[in-house]
This record gives sequence, structure tokens and C-alpha cells, in this order.
Amino acid sequence: MARHFGDDWLIPALDPFNESWFTAGKITVQSCDDCGVFQHPPEDVCGSCQGTALSFVECSGEGTVESVAVVHHPVHPGLSDHCPYAIVVVSLDGAPGANAIGNILNRDPGDISIGQRVRAVFEPAKDAKTGADLLIPQWEVV
Amino acid sequence: MHGQAVVAGVGESTYYVRGRSPDSEFQLTCTAIRRAVEDAGLDLAKVDGFVSYMDQRNDPLRLAHALGIDELRWSNTCWAGGGNNAAAAVQLADAAVSGGYADTVVAFRGLAQGQFGRFGRPRGLSNAAQGDMGWKAPYGLLSPAQECALHTARYMHDHGISQEALCDISLACYANAQLNPRALRNGRPLTREEYHESRWIVEPFHLFDCCPENDGAAAIVVTTPERAKDLKKSGVPILACAQGLGPKYGFHAFQEKYLSGMFYGNVGEAIWQRAGVKPSDVDVLQLYENFTGPVMIALAEMGFCEPGEVEAFVANGALEGPNAKLPFNTSGGNIGEAYIHGFELVNEAVRQVRGDSTCQAKDVELSLVVGGPGYAPGSAVLFNRA
Ligand SMILES: [Zn+2]
Repeated sequence: MARHFGDDWLIPALDPFNESWFTAGKITVQSCDDCGVFQHPPEDVCGSCQGTALSFVECSGEGTVESVAVVHHPVHPGLSDHCPYAIVVVSLDGAPGANAIGNILNRDPGDISIGQRVRAVFEPAKDAKTGADLLIPQWEVV
Repeated sequence: MHGQAVVAGVGESTYYVRGRSPDSEFQLTCTAIRRAVEDAGLDLAKVDGFVSYMDQRNDPLRLAHALGIDELRWSNTCWAGGGNNAAAAVQLADAAVSGGYADTVVAFRGLAQGQFGRFGRPRGLSNAAQGDMGWKAPYGLLSPAQECALHTARYMHDHGISQEALCDISLACYANAQLNPRALRNGRPLTREEYHESRWIVEPFHLFDCCPENDGAAAIVVTTPERAKDLKKSGVPILACAQGLGPKYGFHAFQEKYLSGMFYGNVGEAIWQRAGVKPSDVDVLQLYENFTGPVMIALAEMGFCEPGEVEAFVANGALEGPNAKLPFNTSGGNIGEAYIHGFELVNEAVRQVRGDSTCQAKDVELSLVVGGPGYAPGSAVLFNRA
């Protein structure tokens, strides 16, 4: 499957915070072992109880569109052929309070609205420099 | 210590469309500072402090040398990017003067993007995006307009606000710019029809919801009331300042508790409490508008109206002209005058108290300026009549 913005589009540089999100092939969210709070993006310290024991918890991979912005003006030349495109904020089932950013792959930008139920799909990508294999979470309207 | 320090003068360079300044950024900045000190009737050599914000490139020691300053006793800058700290820079100057650390402090912002490249361009983008950008760039989320659009879209959805609210804010900026010869949009009025027909940048922002990118510099001089007493113009007292530091930064801003809103609530609370006034006491408002959406949200979050009342609050020219219900961005603001990262709004807020704005509101006792665009930290300064 080709990536939403083409296989040459930017990938994230993997680090200990984002590695699970971008490689697990499932939706995972950091949760505090002590107080159970979910936080996204992950951090070194729990912002709720200041605990430092934090784990990644697997979620169902379903969610809800919380906001949508349709981009018409490309701010990067690599996106010129992809406008208009929609950026969505998705709340994640099983991780209250945690929202992710993504794109919707199976609808035109104008057909995406707040409240739609979505399901995660994963775009394979490769970091040519490090050789790392990525599975970038994206979304489809259910 | 509120009310101890006063603004004795304001100045600015000529403002230019991005990249068209014949002068370097440092020259523009020196010009604005020199004019502010001249406006105050002070001796340039006696300036003893500089404050700025947002990775200011014009180093205070280089400025002190070029401007012939006798002795530099205070230099400081606010952390964080964007124009958030436009008003917080005034707070730093107020703190220096009120605390007795310096007598005559210049707060300023200068930029020349022809010389240094576009400010808002996405940075750190190679094949692999780092840190905060790593969460956003793979999804094509690259610009402040796009981020503000996600908050604005949700806010409009939650409170039943239509596109007309954003249009009315933009129209007010353009209308007020027609009265201001310094404004880059002077001579270029905007109609409601043109607004709606203009291209989308990122929905819900049309072209005219977004401020342009400009080059120039603006500055004010803050000094003690004693020193200001002998000056040609009476100084404008700094009644209260606030910075809104909070947890909502970077990618965290999209989390559930922050998504439908921006970051003005705590700035509002702090400024009203410190000044002992309420929003309806404000006679004239300068509110940072990189985009119209954050203005709409700020009006409600700072307590000027309820969220569900925003559209009615800004409708029917309520923000437009000197006789508006709430005179707003009277110089034209970031959108209509020039985008000097919000510092031109500070100059205008001072002018409103002095009575020499090009869109002068009547009987101004309280003049508020708010730095934005809504990400932490926000900032505000309330000026009052002496
Ligand atoms: Zn915890």
C-alpha cells in the first residue's frame, strides 16, 4: 500500500517515545503504571502523578474524529500534488483523554466530519538511513 | 508595584511586504528604537535596558554599541516561539523599571525575512522529522495555520459558530487599516463577498483570515514616572501585565482537554484580577490575530462574551472603526497594518491612551493588548490613562 502522501514523504525519526506508535502495527498509548492515566504524546514523567513507571498499552484501534482541517495551500512542495487533504484529530477508544493526529484514507476531504467513527490502518514505510521498518498509523471511516 | 512604570514613547520602522525591505533587520530595529526614544524626548545614550521575545536575533550588546548606549544594565528575553510574548516583553520591561534594575528599557521586535528567510516555514524537515514535528509532519501537519484551524474547527462545531464570525473579524482589521497610513493594507479595502470568494488556505481559514508576512520593527520605551514627568508627552502607565504559562504546548495542545479552545483563559483571569477591572471596562482592544480563529476564541476565553455569543458579539461591525461597540485592532493589526509578530499592537495600544491613533476611540481609560496566538505562553498588558 502506497503512503497517503507518497512513499517519499517525510517519516518520523524514531525515538523511545514514538517508536511504539510508529512501528507496533497496532494502536498503543503510554499509560502510567501508578495512576493509570493515559498520555499522548508519551513523556518521561506522568503529568498526573509524576510517576516514572510508564508502559505502552494496546488499544482497540478504533476511535472518533474530534476535529478536521482541510488543507488547500501546500506549505511544502512535496504536498503540492496532494492538496486538498484533511488532517484529523482522533480520540482513541480505550485511552480516555488521548488524541492522535492522522489522515483519513477512504474518504474525500469534504466528506470527513467531527463525530465519525474510524478504525486504524497502517502504512508501511522504511527509514532509508537506519533501515528501520515503520508502520505509520492512519485511519479509515468505519 | 503596578502603575509604577510608564511607556514614554513608541516608534516603528517603515513596514514592508516580506522580503522587500531595503534595510537590514538590524537597521530596521535600530530605526524603530531611535524613533521610540525620540518620541519620548529621551537621550538615546541613557537607555539602559533591552527586552524582546521569540529568538530575537538583534543582540542587546550589538544594539547598545550601535546606538551609543552609555551602560547596559538589563537585557532579557521571553522563552517560546510565536508572537505569544509580545505583551510579555512589556512585562519584562515593567519588571526591570518597577524593580529598580534599570531606568529606561526598550522593548522591541524586529524582523527582515528577506535577509533571514521566512519565519513560519517548517523547520527541521529532512527525510525524518524529529521530536514534536515527528508526530505531525508524517500527516502533513506543518504550519501554525493548520494547527490553529484544528482548534478553530472544533470550537466552531461545539458552539455553533459560522464562517461569518471569522469574516467579521477580518473585515474589522481591513476597515481599520484604511485609516492608518502606516498600514500595508491601506488602500486595499475588503468586502464580505471578496472574503468568501477568496481561496482557502486551510479550512476554516480563507486567505483573508491569515495575516500576511512582513518585515519591519516596532519598539516602545519604558521608564519611571519621575523621569517621564519632564518629557514632552505624558507617559502611559502600565496598569497590569500577565503571562499565561501552562501545560498546553506542542503536540499536547491536541489532547482532549485542550482541543476545543486555545490559551487565553488564565491570561484573562490574571489581568482582570491584577488590575481590578472586568472585560466590559476595556475601552479599546488590540488582540493578536495571526489567524481570525484564535481571536474569536480569545474573546470568549478572556470573558468578553460567552462562547455561544461570539458570533453575535462580533457581528454588524461591532469591532469596526473608532466608534465600534468594542474598538478592536484599530491600527489594522497583524492582518491590516503589518505582522511585526504582534509588537505593532503594543504601539497601537499606547497610542490609544495618548489619543493619537489613526482610528482613535473616544475617552480611552483602559487599553488592552493581548499577545497570541493561543499556544502557551499567552500574554497581555493593560495600559491606563495617567
Ligand atoms: Zn501517574
